Amino acid sequence: MYRKIGLFALMLILATTVVFAQGAKESGEGETVVLRMGDNIPDRSTGWGAVIERINKEFIEMHPEVEITTESYQDQAWQEKVKIYATANQLPDVMKYWSFSTLLQPLVDGKFVEPLNMDTFKQYGYMAGSLEGNVYDGELYGIPVSADLWVIYVNKALFEKAGVPLPESWEDIVASVPKFKAQGIIPMVTDGKDGWPLCEMFDNIQQRISGSFQPVADAIDRKARYTDDNFLQTARYIQNLVKAGVFQSDLVTSDYGASRNLFGQERAAMYMMGSWEMGLATDPNFSDSFRENLDVIEFPIVEGGKGGSDDLLAWFGGNYIVNAKSEHKDLALEYLEYYAKVFPAYAWETQATFPAQKVEARESDTIVAKKLLDIAADAKTTSGTPGLDRSTAAFKETHQDLMRRLMSKIITPEAFVAELDAAAEKAAK
Amino acid sequence: MKNLFSDKKTIALLSVPSIIIIAFAILAPLVVSLYFSFMEWSGFGAVTFIGMDNYRQLVLHDGTFYRALLNTFLLMLVTIFLQNPFAFVIAAILTKLKDATSRFLRTIYFIPATLSLVVVTKLWVSIFNPSYGFLNKLLQGIGFQNMQIAWLSNPKTALGSVIWIMVWQGFGWALLFYYSGLMTVPKELEEAAKVDGANKFQLYTKIIVPYMLPVIQSVIVIDVISSLKQMEMVYLSTEGGPGDLTQFIAVYLYQKAFRYSEYGYGNAISVIFVILAVFLTIFIQRIFRERSAGKKRVGA
Repeated sequence: MYRKIGLFALMLILATTVVFAQGAKESGEGETVVLRMGDNIPDRSTGWGAVIERINKEFIEMHPEVEITTESYQDQAWQEKVKIYATANQLPDVMKYWSFSTLLQPLVDGKFVEPLNMDTFKQYGYMAGSLEGNVYDGELYGIPVSADLWVIYVNKALFEKAGVPLPESWEDIVASVPKFKAQGIIPMVTDGKDGWPLCEMFDNIQQRISGSFQPVADAIDRKARYTDDNFLQTARYIQNLVKAGVFQSDLVTSDYGASRNLFGQERAAMYMMGSWEMGLATDPNFSDSFRENLDVIEFPIVEGGKGGSDDLLAWFGGNYIVNAKSEHKDLALEYLEYYAKVFPAYAWETQATFPAQKVEARESDTIVAKKLLDIAADAKTTSGTPGLDRSTAAFKETHQDLMRRLMSKIITPEAFVAELDAAAEKAAK
Repeated sequence: MKNLFSDKKTIALLSVPSIIIIAFAILAPLVVSLYFSFMEWSGFGAVTFIGMDNYRQLVLHDGTFYRALLNTFLLMLVTIFLQNPFAFVIAAILTKLKDATSRFLRTIYFIPATLSLVVVTKLWVSIFNPSYGFLNKLLQGIGFQNMQIAWLSNPKTALGSVIWIMVWQGFGWALLFYYSGLMTVPKELEEAAKVDGANKFQLYTKIIVPYMLPVIQSVIVIDVISSLKQMEMVYLSTEGGPGDLTQFIAVYLYQKAFRYSEYGYGNAISVIFVILAVFLTIFIQRIFRERSAGKKRVGA
C-alpha cells in the first residue's frame, strides 16, 4: 500500500515538473516574439538593473507580442559568456557590452555587431566623444551608456570613528592605516580578483607621479616603454601601499561583490571603484547609516608627484550593441533607440548610475551624485580609455595577472615592468 | 539464437550505434581540438595556420603550464598517498563499529560528496575569508589573536587551502568505495589468517589490502582523473592565483581559450591534457596488472 502511495506521489511530482517546465508563455500559441538580452547587472531589483527592467516593461507594453529574456552575470563571467556565444553564433539580440578595442573590435571584425545610424542617436544628448568611442572604420557599432570616472567612495562615519580626516594624498591614507586597523576597520577595498580595478589604479598612480596620462598610451603604441622610470616608480609605489596594509588582506581573491559588500556593510572605510557605483547611495540592501555617511572623493594625489587631483581617469566604457545576425533585428534596433531615449532620465531619477548623456542636476540628487557631477565638471584633463583596454585581449589578461602578482608581492616591481613591457611588445606586433 | 549472436556480421551491426556515439562524442571533438591546436584563432574571425608554434611555446616557454602541471601532480600525490590511506583506515574502523554508529558516521563523512562543487567551494571560501571567516575567528578565539591569514590569497597558504577543499570533498567518495570493498572481504579469509597466527597489521597488509587491490586501483584511477579535471573549485576560489600559484591545467586551458582569446593555444593545452590523462591511466593500470600478476604467480 505504502509503496503504491509512494509511487503515485512520485508520478504526481514528475507530471507537475513536466507541466511547469514547459514555461508560462505557452498560451501565446507561437505569436510571442522572444527578444534575448544580456548584461553584467545581476541585481534587477535596485539601481541600474531596476532601470533596465523598467525600460523592458515599458517596451513590452508598447509591443504586447514581445517577451524579453535576460541573462546577467558579473563583468568577467559575462565577457567570457559573450565570447562563447559568439563562437557558437548564439549571441543575444541586444546586449550590454563594452566599447573597448579589446572587447568590441573582435566582435565587429567577426561581423557579429549591427552598424547603427549615427544621426538617429546623436539627438539623444550624448556627451562629446562618447559616441565616437564606439566607432570602428567609420561606423557606429554601439551606444555608450555610462560615463566612467575613477574615484574613491568613503564612509564618513568610519573616518570619524578612527579620528581620520578625508585623505588628499595616498600618503594620508598610508598614515591612517594603523588608526583604522585599531578600530577593526579595513582602510580600503576594491575588486582585486578580476584585476582590472588594479590596472585602473596603476594608470592613475602613474599619472599622479608623472603628471600625464599620455605615457600609458605611448607605452601601448611603443613610443615609450613600460620599463621607463615613471612606470617602475608606480609599481614600487603600489607594492608599498600593499605592504603598508592599505587594502583588504584577501585582495587578490576578493571579487566585485565581496569587496562591494565589505564596504556596504561598513567593514571598510574606502571603496576604490568607478562612478557606475553611485547607486550605492540609494541601495536599500545597505543600512540607512551607510547611505547617510556615503561620500565620494577624487583619486588622491601622490606627494611630490606632478599630477593633480583634478586630473581625471575617465572613459566611456559600457555600451549597448545589437546582434547583426539577430532574427528580430528591427525590433532590437527599436529597443535600442527607446533605451537611448529614456535611460538617462530614468538612471538619474533613481541615481542608479552616471549616464553618458547629459542630465539635469536636481536639488534632490544624492551627495554622491552632486559630487560626481562636480568632479566631472572640474576635471582639468581626462584619460580616455584605460591602458589595459587599448590593446589586445591577451595584453589585458597579462596586465591584470601581473597586477595581481605585484599586489601579492610575488613579483618585484622590476620584473613586473619588464614582463608588462614584453606583453605590450608582443601585442604591438 | 546462439548462432545469431556468434555471427560476426550481427556483432558488427550491433556495435555500430555505440561506435557512432563514441566517434561523435569523443573522437570528433578530439580531432577538432587537434586541428585548432595548429591554428592561431581568437574564437571567431580569421583562422591562421601556425604549425607547431602553440606546442613550441607551451613546452619550451610557458612556465605557468608547468606550474599547473606541478600542482596537478601534487594534488594527485596528496589524494593517493594521504587521502586514500586515511579513507581506508577510517573505512576499516567503520566496519568494526556497531551498525547504527557506523551508519551515522558514514552519512556524516559522505555529506560533502553529495553537495554541489559550487556550494562546497563557496562554503570554504567563506570559512577561509580573513575578515569574517570562521577559521580566523576560531584561531583568534583559542588565543592566536594576531592570526589574520588570508588563506586563499597568501602565497604560502593558497595552494594548501585549495587542495584541502578538494580533498575534503573527495574524501567521502574514497571512503564509500573502501567501505563497500571491505564489506565484501569474506569472513573465512580473516578467520583463516587469525588461525595461522596473523596479527591485525599482518591481516590488513597481507590479506585484506591485496584482496582490495581492484577497488584501490579504481579509486586511484578516479583520483588521477579528477585531479587532472580540477576546474570548478579553483575557478570559484582563486582562479589560479595569487599569480599562478594555484593554477591547474583545466583552469589554465579555459583561461587561455576564453579570457586571453587564444583559442588555438587552449586547444594545444587540451591535446597535451588528453595525452597525459590517457598515459597516466594506462600507466596505473599496468602497475596494478603487474602487481596482481605477480601475486598470482606467487600464489601458484
